[in-house]
Amino acid sequence: MNEHDKIRELLALAVANALTSAEEKQVAEHVRSCIACSNELEAWRPIASELRRLPTPQPSSWLVQATLARAEAKFTEQAEHDWNHRLMIIVVAFAWLLTIASWAVFHVVSGRFERLLGPQFSHTWISFAAFTALEWLAGGVAAVMLAIRQRGERRLA
Amino acid sequence: MAVDADVVRLRRGDLNALSELITRYQNRLYRYLLRIVRQPAEAEDLFQQTWLRVVEKIRSFDASRNFDAWLFTLARNLAIDHLRRIRPESLDEPLANSWHSENVADRISSKDHTPLDHALAAERRTEISEAMAGLPMIYREVLTLRFEDEMKIEEIAQVTAVPVSTVKSRLRRSLEQLRYALEARYPGGTWQ
Repeated sequence: MNEHDKIRELLALAVANALTSAEEKQVAEHVRSCIACSNELEAWRPIASELRRLPTPQPSSWLVQATLARAEAKFTEQAEHDWNHRLMIIVVAFAWLLTIASWAVFHVVSGRFERLLGPQFSHTWISFAAFTALEWLAGGVAAVMLAIRQRGERRLA
Repeated sequence: MAVDADVVRLRRGDLNALSELITRYQNRLYRYLLRIVRQPAEAEDLFQQTWLRVVEKIRSFDASRNFDAWLFTLARNLAIDHLRRIRPESLDEPLANSWHSENVADRISSKDHTPLDHALAAERRTEISEAMAGLPMIYREVLTLRFEDEMKIEEIAQVTAVPVSTVKSRLRRSLEQLRYALEARYPGGTWQ
């Protein structure tokens, strides 16, 4: 591809102001001496000019208001969701803390009665573990039911 | 600068900032979506979806990045998903009918003075609009972003997720196709 052909390929980009400064300089120098490219460049100009002057379609004020209302509702929902999420983390952390603490307390208390409990001791531990698991299961079911109810309420709203 | 402040406020949960951003970007965003999907009803729906997506994702937006490019990228992804779902062929194929819904009065620029100038200018814009609507989606997109939205080539590259060289190549091809379309419709350059 010779210089002339290379420049010719840049002419469309020249009217789109999409050339590097070096390319712009190259094009400017070439069109000064090449009538064909100069004419070609002039042929591109009205297209670029009309494209820049195309009317901007306006969204209706109804659309903007409706978008704003929906976005605000989403924003509020998101904020509520984030708050619930944070609350859930705190509750779970507290539950874990309570469980761990209760195990430590149980250990201390059970140590005192270990001799009295004797062979029943292992059964006590199993019972305690089962009770803890049941507690967690009940908590999980409650959380799921709460989430389903919230989703239902949101759908109705 | 003002946009950056609004984005920061929105990230903090300020609903007024959201209102200001929607007002600020409404024309540009709606025009971009309309150029891509060509149907006003679809553009309106995507306009709403884009702002809902903004609300959803604003916390993950890196404030040091260009908000314009981020916003248009969200809109683009939604529009392309929509086209793939509704009219997969429309991503490549031109539309048979004109897409634009503006009337002649909308097309007249204040720079045109006499009634004849107005009529001729309106006619030229109709021709350009129709020819542009006949181009494939990626060419319509690059034309609107460069000429109507006056985005920099680098910004267009960010929005369309392609290298700068590809943007330039698309821009050149889109202009060439537009010119061929105009010359085919109006031989001898009569559209000018």
